[in-house]
Amino acid sequence: MKLDNMFKKTKVTSGEKGYITLGRTGPVVPEGLLRKCNKCGSAIIAEDVRRDFYTCPRCGGYFRVHAYRRIEMLADEGTFEEWDKELRGGNPLGYKGYEEKKAGLKEKTGLTEAVVTGKISINGSEAAVGVCDGRFLMASMGEAVGEKITRAVERATKEGLPVILFACSGGARMQEGIVSLMQMAKTAAALKRHSEAGLLYISVLTDPTTGGVTASFAMLGDIILAEPKALIGFAGPRVIEQTIRQKLPAGFQRSEFLLEHGFIDGIITRPEMKETLSRILRLHENTAENILEISAEEPEGGDSSAEACRYASLKSGTDPWERVKLSRREDRPSGSDYIETLFTDFTECCGDRLFADDKAVIGGIARFGGVPVTVIAQAKGRDTKENIMRNFGMPSPEGYRKALRLMKQAEKFGRPVICFVDTPGAFCGLEAEERGQGEAIARNLYEMSELRVPILSMIIGEGGSGGALAFAVADEVWMLENSVYSILSPEGFASILWKDSKRAKEAAGVMKLTAEHLKEMNIVERVFPEPVPYTRETMEPVIFSVKREIESFLGKYQSMTGEQLTEHRYMRFRKM
Amino acid sequence: MIKKILVANRGEIAVRIIRACREMGIETVAVYSEADREALHAKLADEAVCIGPAPSKESYLCMERIISATIVSGADAIHPGFGFLSENSKFAALCEQCSITFIGPSARVIESLGNKQEARNTMEAAGVPIIPGSREPVYTVRGGEKAASETGYPVIIKAALGGGGKGMRVVYSPEDFEAGFQTAQKEAEMAFGDNTMYIEHFIQHPRHIEFQILADHFGNVIHLGERDCSIQRNHQKMIEESPSLALSEKLRGKMGEAAVKAAKAARYTNAGTIEFLLEKNENFYFMEMNTRIQVEHPVTEWVTGIDLIKAQIRIASGERLSYKQEDVQISGHSIECRINAENPEKGFRPSPGTVRGMHLPGGKGIRIDSAIYSGYTITPYYDSMVAKLSVWAKNRKEAVRKMRSALGEVIIEGIDTNVDYQYAILNHPDYVAGDIDIEFIERLKRGV
Repeated sequence: MKLDNMFKKTKVTSGEKGYITLGRTGPVVPEGLLRKCNKCGSAIIAEDVRRDFYTCPRCGGYFRVHAYRRIEMLADEGTFEEWDKELRGGNPLGYKGYEEKKAGLKEKTGLTEAVVTGKISINGSEAAVGVCDGRFLMASMGEAVGEKITRAVERATKEGLPVILFACSGGARMQEGIVSLMQMAKTAAALKRHSEAGLLYISVLTDPTTGGVTASFAMLGDIILAEPKALIGFAGPRVIEQTIRQKLPAGFQRSEFLLEHGFIDGIITRPEMKETLSRILRLHENTAENILEISAEEPEGGDSSAEACRYASLKSGTDPWERVKLSRREDRPSGSDYIETLFTDFTECCGDRLFADDKAVIGGIARFGGVPVTVIAQAKGRDTKENIMRNFGMPSPEGYRKALRLMKQAEKFGRPVICFVDTPGAFCGLEAEERGQGEAIARNLYEMSELRVPILSMIIGEGGSGGALAFAVADEVWMLENSVYSILSPEGFASILWKDSKRAKEAAGVMKLTAEHLKEMNIVERVFPEPVPYTRETMEPVIFSVKREIESFLGKYQSMTGEQLTEHRYMRFRKM
Repeated sequence: MIKKILVANRGEIAVRIIRACREMGIETVAVYSEADREALHAKLADEAVCIGPAPSKESYLCMERIISATIVSGADAIHPGFGFLSENSKFAALCEQCSITFIGPSARVIESLGNKQEARNTMEAAGVPIIPGSREPVYTVRGGEKAASETGYPVIIKAALGGGGKGMRVVYSPEDFEAGFQTAQKEAEMAFGDNTMYIEHFIQHPRHIEFQILADHFGNVIHLGERDCSIQRNHQKMIEESPSLALSEKLRGKMGEAAVKAAKAARYTNAGTIEFLLEKNENFYFMEMNTRIQVEHPVTEWVTGIDLIKAQIRIASGERLSYKQEDVQISGHSIECRINAENPEKGFRPSPGTVRGMHLPGGKGIRIDSAIYSGYTITPYYDSMVAKLSVWAKNRKEAVRKMRSALGEVIIEGIDTNVDYQYAILNHPDYVAGDIDIEFIERLKRGV
């Protein structure tokens, strides 16, 4: 039964219909109560937009925010101190109408130029900030923008402050011609001096960051963060399309694209931004918080050998092939499990800044018992799906380059480096060779040997060949009882020497790849007994003793100078 | 006077409101989701506006779209019905900001009564009884005993972080307190890692008794008697009746007075309901106040002769209440059964589908509030209630018989319903005797 137009409608009794009544105060939406999302087109309540950090409550899209609002979202109340507020640029080309245009914008926005700089506190941590404001000529970088940023960076260098710059810019300012181009060099140079002073620079990319800004200060952060779905690129997508006459893929030049391609450390949503910046700042401060505190807990049952008796580990002399099989088990704790259980405040840093982010390597900054450290782990997946994503723990050149980038960063900030090794070997494939797998591994061996901070490397599963060694040029190398470390897999060994990969079990027997053998050969310093079965659920006793040993490792090596460390490391391998 | 109302709801309550408007000569605007294109409320209203896709969040809960529909259609008021946005103070505030009359109390009142602790404090200050208990957390047996004796036995010991019955013990006498407290606290420590406990009076076999009130903008508040809603499953009411067998004239006066006091203390306007738990010894305690029209309002309409929806509209238009308390006479007895598209044998699983054919009862003293019709398809997106069957007779015995007869006539083909389950309750000796409390259905399920 269809009921369309079946019912009689209400008879209007008022008799007013059809007349326009003057002064009638009917329902109206007051100005500013609702607004429209420019991403999804929905009508949304303005108050909700403010509450949600200027994002659309319907589609989650980001509204552009102006500089003072951005500062308000970050700064502890009343801590913002503005620098060079009145600084303004000239008209070097004598470009017609430019002065009037700027005067008009000043009138409209209250800004003298397209960037606001100054000093703020974020949860008590001080930093110099610069925030671009897109309302002023799309925050293009003319002389005044370049000068304000440069002055802020110089002042931060002098005062020993970290710098945070929020980029949002159309690029260079055309009206100022070559003078605008020079700002790229000027800001980059100021940041280089800031970095040489050992200070932290965090760059945050917001929608849009393009052109000369991308090609200067925006891409030079020690840590580069981006807001979700922001357009970030050098040449604009339209220009590229017209030049190459091809349609660009969806998501091209968005934050997610940059993350995948290794150019940013992470994507941070607006609600998380303040906490994330605050955590990163605190990890780079020289405060009491960042000093190693030795855990007060007394180990039960004395030394670790006695502890080993508490869990049923395998007997000495167990068939090495058994240990190889144990080292490869899918339920064995993987790199990420150690990061979760040994450290706090882990802040992942992605990308090699060259080509991609390799998911077979997880790296970042964290705290170990209060001390900031750089943690880098080769990571296998916890299930098949994750294993595919992590390429079964086989790093590509990007993975080694990411690791090296993070080690260099650790060196700059004087942080110890802790590596976890668990790989069947470096990824063996066409693309890996194209991008220089051999070069990437070699570069790590070369640079790690002279890194002026302590390096600890721990083999937690498979230590396969050069792919493992590129994470293990360390002051000490430790192994778990049922991990293995070898020139290559037993299958490969049997195949090369005996032309029969099926004789892997036999090969394992002669390769001396177990922790027990390697300790005897002085290839590794320490072996941790492990329970059988060894899974995430039974990790606790291992974590307990590893924690204690890392404490004493840091105690010992952190007191050494850079020269002592590199000499010690040099001699460690020189003897082999 | 309001000339045009947008009904921000669906189903039978939207139809109920549209009918009241038709009778009052007020034009109506229905809103509907894409899944409700064929729904009765959208057909019956003078105009209908589609406000989005099927999920409630995208349509019936989307404030911006409902406000826009109101402005576009030129309606001057919104009736929110029940559920959806009816008790959303933010929505009421938006209406106020846009000069739209929200048919219900003010945003401020909705907000303060929606906050359990604030409502409890308001009521306590106004002298409305609330469930006695320790205000301060208790950590020791000694402290607990003191709080329990002040509260009065039996008491329930509750973990501050409790849930799922863990860390909870009922103690009937002081001798058992120590053991009960220690067990509850130990459980709480194990389950939540926290030993903070509270002591509260334990209400045994209570009835759910609620009072309907009406309040205008001139400070006049009256109550329209009670509804006994003790027949409920998982806190979902199934059968409601008025008056309640448990209330003497004296107790009704006392509880009604408390309800009026509660409404006045909250500075309430429009129709509202104050829910109480009633003990066998006639002690009663404030639970919460519902700031909207209730599903079960027809039983009150039957026994008082007052049309609550029309009263709501008149109050919202700024009219004075046309009744005084003494004008309200409770006469006869009314029962309502909620008919849901669900299968009681399969754990009350919802049963959406197309109504292939139906026959509903009628006659003197029988009322159907429904939005289904032959050929209508019940979608899985919304509440499963498809009809309310209510009856009136001069006493409870006759009302029970009339309800049985009426239920026996209900035929809805194409979907499963709870009609047979309701019929069984109407024949249960305890129900017939009026011996009910909120654990009735639980006992029925256990076959006690």
